[in-house]
Amino acid sequence: MPLFDRTKLQVLANHARAAAENMAHTLHRTAHSAFVKETQDFTVMLMDRSGATFAVPMELGATWYPGLSYRCAIAMVDDYRPGDVAFTNDPYSGHVATHAPDTHLWKPVFVDDEIVAWTGGHIHNTDMGGAVPASLSRALTEIHQEGIRFPPMKLVNEGVFDEMILRIMSTNVRKPDLNIGDIKALVGALNTGERKIQAMVRKFGKAGFVEGVAALLDHAEAQAHDVLRSMPDGTWQFADYADEDSVEANPCRLKLRLTIKGDEAVLDFTGSDPQLGSSLNVPSGGDPRHTMLLVGVYYVLYTLNPKILLNTGLTRPFTCITPQGSVLNPVYPAAVGMRSLTCARLRSVIFGAFSQAVPERLPAAPAGNNCIVNVMTTDERTSRTVIAAVNPVVGGGGAMPHRDGTNGSGADAAYLKNTPIEITETETPVEFVRYGLARDSGGAGRWRGGLATEMAFRVFAPDSRITARNRDRSFFRPWGVLGGKAAGLSDMVVNPGTAHERRLGNIDTAVLQPGDMLEIRSAGGGGRGDPHQREPWRVAQDARRGYISPAAAERDYGVVIRGGEIDEQATNLLRAGKEPSAGHFHFGPEREVYETQWTPAAYDRLHAVLDALPIHWRFFAKTEIFRRMKGRSGPEGVQAAFDAVCERFPELPRPRPIREAAE
Amino acid sequence: MDGVITADEAQNEADWKVGVDIGGTFIDFCALEANSGRLASLKVLTTPEDPGAELMTGLTLLAEREGFDPAHMTRFVHGTTVGINTIIQRKGAPLALFTNAGFEDVIELARLRMPDMYSLFCSRPDPLIPRDMVFGIPVRMRADGSESRAPDMAAVERAVAVAKANGAQGIIVSFLHSWRNAVQEASVKAAIAHLAPELFVFCSAEVWPVIREYERSSTAILNGYVHPRVSGYLTALEERLKGQGVPARPMLTKSNGGLMNAAEGKHACVNMLLSGTASGVIGASWLARQAGEDRILTLDIGGTSADFALIIDGKPQFGTGELIGEFPLHIPSVSVSSIGVGGGSIASVDAQGVLRVGPESAGSTPGPACYGRGGERATVTDAMVVCGWLGHSEMAYGQLSIDTGLAQRAVGELAARLGRPVEQTAQAILDIAVSEMFVEVEKLASRAGVDLRDFTLMPFGGGGPMLGAFLARELGMKRVMAPRRPGVVSALGGLVADLRGDFIRTMFSPLSGTSLPAIREAFETLAQEGRDWLVAQGHNAAAQFNLSCDMRYIGQSYEIEVVLSPEWLANGNAAAIADAFHLTHQRLYDFHDPYGTIELVNVRLSAVGAGPKLSFPEIDVIAAPAIPARRLSVYTGVNVETIDLHDRQTLAPGSTFHGPAVVVQEDTTFAIPAGAQASVDRHLNLLLTFPE
Repeated sequence: MPLFDRTKLQVLANHARAAAENMAHTLHRTAHSAFVKETQDFTVMLMDRSGATFAVPMELGATWYPGLSYRCAIAMVDDYRPGDVAFTNDPYSGHVATHAPDTHLWKPVFVDDEIVAWTGGHIHNTDMGGAVPASLSRALTEIHQEGIRFPPMKLVNEGVFDEMILRIMSTNVRKPDLNIGDIKALVGALNTGERKIQAMVRKFGKAGFVEGVAALLDHAEAQAHDVLRSMPDGTWQFADYADEDSVEANPCRLKLRLTIKGDEAVLDFTGSDPQLGSSLNVPSGGDPRHTMLLVGVYYVLYTLNPKILLNTGLTRPFTCITPQGSVLNPVYPAAVGMRSLTCARLRSVIFGAFSQAVPERLPAAPAGNNCIVNVMTTDERTSRTVIAAVNPVVGGGGAMPHRDGTNGSGADAAYLKNTPIEITETETPVEFVRYGLARDSGGAGRWRGGLATEMAFRVFAPDSRITARNRDRSFFRPWGVLGGKAAGLSDMVVNPGTAHERRLGNIDTAVLQPGDMLEIRSAGGGGRGDPHQREPWRVAQDARRGYISPAAAERDYGVVIRGGEIDEQATNLLRAGKEPSAGHFHFGPEREVYETQWTPAAYDRLHAVLDALPIHWRFFAKTEIFRRMKGRSGPEGVQAAFDAVCERFPELPRPRPIREAAE
Repeated sequence: MDGVITADEAQNEADWKVGVDIGGTFIDFCALEANSGRLASLKVLTTPEDPGAELMTGLTLLAEREGFDPAHMTRFVHGTTVGINTIIQRKGAPLALFTNAGFEDVIELARLRMPDMYSLFCSRPDPLIPRDMVFGIPVRMRADGSESRAPDMAAVERAVAVAKANGAQGIIVSFLHSWRNAVQEASVKAAIAHLAPELFVFCSAEVWPVIREYERSSTAILNGYVHPRVSGYLTALEERLKGQGVPARPMLTKSNGGLMNAAEGKHACVNMLLSGTASGVIGASWLARQAGEDRILTLDIGGTSADFALIIDGKPQFGTGELIGEFPLHIPSVSVSSIGVGGGSIASVDAQGVLRVGPESAGSTPGPACYGRGGERATVTDAMVVCGWLGHSEMAYGQLSIDTGLAQRAVGELAARLGRPVEQTAQAILDIAVSEMFVEVEKLASRAGVDLRDFTLMPFGGGGPMLGAFLARELGMKRVMAPRRPGVVSALGGLVADLRGDFIRTMFSPLSGTSLPAIREAFETLAQEGRDWLVAQGHNAAAQFNLSCDMRYIGQSYEIEVVLSPEWLANGNAAAIADAFHLTHQRLYDFHDPYGTIELVNVRLSAVGAGPKLSFPEIDVIAAPAIPARRLSVYTGVNVETIDLHDRQTLAPGSTFHGPAVVVQEDTTFAIPAGAQASVDRHLNLLLTFPE
């Protein structure tokens, strides 16, 4: 293959990025729904002839899909003509869409009767029909409850929308105008991208363009190889938990064994929980380079080399192993609507593994709960039902090697945007009581974790329904590293501090009555390094700013503050002889206690037991085992619980004894 | 008889109008003698340690050179960077923020989202007011403007005491929903004035009464942050001018491209933060109008950055959210986009052997290698020198000289690593620099919904003419127009600007026949504010009111500004307003929704008091081929060619030549690529056209 001119590559990369930014601006400004405009839950991309993404915008949209390949979805439609646009929202066809609200579109770019590239992108539709408004709920158990699905098919034929498809969609969704407005805006963006690619072909020549695009992918691959080469060879294991695997049930554990060898890496997720009877599954289709599995990797690579090109080439040095029937590779018809929650945990698992490989270069855990709050209430003046997205309640970034974690959001939640209180209060009959940072919520450390966000508001109408999707970290804390402490937990409370207080823990919905106040708090970011090494003046400054309480200054940092001033003598006394805590991670008491029962060996046994069962039995069996773990622990406990399950359910298929499994 | 003589004398008496713009390295003067049309320009190095001193030096020099008496200076218009530098260097006044209890983190959280969102190290800038100087006051207004809790004055009193003790010089008061009802802010301001008369106070609704608490608060904070320095600077300036016997009261250029007087500038400081870039665009649009061009892309390239702006139908574009250092500014400003690529941007070869340009810059110190001031790494300017476009004459009024050997050495190092000839490497650096600008301009065009092929590129500043024509080619533009004095376009912009005050009310109501009376009433209030403002500026002549509305379809979260015709309001024609919105939406976004409900967010009014009508002399065009000063060798991208060098001074109206060619003048060098037809118009603008 001829090597594309190295001195021209940045020129081509710039033209590609200009095209992608152009598409993003077109979509962002023309879309109708708050999801696309405010939350910026959309992506646009340019793809090579095979459907591999080679350019994405850097300023607008979500951060998940620079490594997405449309190859399989493209192949499911025949006979592309100029002006055609195909689409799908089916998580089980082509593995492009990852839950039903995400509608992906792609368009061939023709030059001389030949497809030289594709433009594509997705929008998150406000609703795709199904069992619940917005089509998303943890309680859903199969894909059919999550809305209407369109397998890959043409939506636009030679420039003309297929009215039949639009009518079918309009009939089946709750907000058809928003969907169709957003889809048309996305088609406009794809058209923009098509024009820009054609201009690039004129500038670089057809052969030059095609070679150049290949060189962009190769370049990103080479950059990713370089980052991996800068890391030591080795194998690192890490596990993290989502609080619940379904409504008010058991933790969902994700496990990663990261092996770096030379300039390549294997991410083996074997040992992650079986696919769930809730909608928290991540439909990767077992693709070893599915973009959903690698989002955490993009963050790591970009953080270590901010000049890295974001495209599918980055994914080439990585191989993911996701056993079929696991939460990261569920089989049809598993529900997948709330995969965002699991994806946040998936990212923190990846961060944790890489943090062990290059501890000096990466931050502690970010809050990792990108909670989106929606309210449905009645406007008392008009008796109209109002549905509105309120603010995202997200937490801080993990403490960095060189500074404190970013407060309120940051790290892998930096793309989220809030809505001004004044706009929400004008459009929606709620009154905010508080929106700000939560004291003492950042993990203590030489560098402090970013603080959590705290929001409280009141409603005025009966039966006002709140959903707070993607809430997590109400039990398992964002971890600290290298002596830094785990961060504060998330929480949701109705009427805090009153006689009518209701603590909701990890529940993500609430019904409020007139005058009720709901307080939602995110988790914080983990701390980094020994908190007793933090300069007392920074601790005092944090106290002055209300980021930490004087009590926490003393307890967590060993800094005594009296009347606003540091008591140096008392501080020295308190700090003397404090040994930094051992171990790479600090998880906090909840996980430490949990893992005395659920040891790694217990999990190994659990998975040995479950893996031997047919897929559709596994979640059921897991749940039944957990029910019988009271007073039991370790692998023996798991085995005893499983035996009890077998006794209760003799129908449970038992292919062969598994006594010899790992101890 | 006496009267006639006086009139004659007045006519004979010189009438100098002077525009002054302070930039990073130079302070630029543009002076016009109104009777004769004589135009003079001057550049003097800035004196950052004593802002204002260079201004007086320059004025004296200018007066001496042009032989005028400062007493004949009837107009003095000034653009200054004092405000913006205060923010960038974070040397503003220590402030306190009084906001609602429960919302003290409004400025730290901002709008949450941050740039560089793929980095785990991303962060927001530290706020200008640290959290321990933010005081939550128990007070609350509802969204409809009714009070749910009156300000807790005891809390105000405690907060004032702490703020004072901690060294606050001023207090910003910003409460929720003051855009609807500002009475709470006003009462707290009155209380502070009583408790601590030595502290200055700005309320958010006074500075810019617009919905969205973060944007409104941060605008008021920027205003207060620069207030003491700006005010001190202006007071000193007024005294210095008076001391020189200048009768004209100084006028200031504003971010909105208009003017205000110095008295207002002392408290409405936020309005002048972007005055330099704005008046550049005003100057450019004036030059464009004069030349009969109405769709312009301006390009101003400096050492570390390049600025772009669109002029559509002869008018600069306005926007909010322009960045002041790290902070967005939310008052109407002339839209200028910026990218960190300029003449000093450094070229490098990365680990994979790919050539890159920027983001590091050699800035003005040490500067490009060819300046011989210690810079060793190859920059865009060095690449221009290596190709042969630059280095044939003195630069920057003789204050710089070019060492070709140093440029060769710096670029040669990269060439060796790439295994390329040095000229090819230099050309690749230029191509990359142009493509970096291409990205930004493309984004600008897509936001504005325009096709740049219908536009003329106007390069100005010291570096604009260097790369302008190359960028125009990359963008598919067919015309380039370089003004005669590209170095003083901003100073000229001040000279030709009008008084302009902007006024806004947030309505937040659906657009319908029933909401029209309230809208009309709001406009009447704004018109009265506008009239009062113009009178306060000393303007008693005719005024023009430009009306517009920010509107959106319900559910959208960004509004677009739509110009209104006063008749639509007078006739109660809501349908015409709706049609104008649909049409604008269609133009910007390629679609509209004829059945969509329209929400009217803000009504806006600009009160404009026209400045003096100035016109520059026109010179008759005599078509003739230009005579080159000499020939020189330039690498034009494919091979080394011998091309013409023209001296700008000798290019008379009607002169024609074609590219490739170089035009040199005392403050810039114009590189003209192959394929360009060049001609000089009657205003001495140099026009390039690229026939397809």
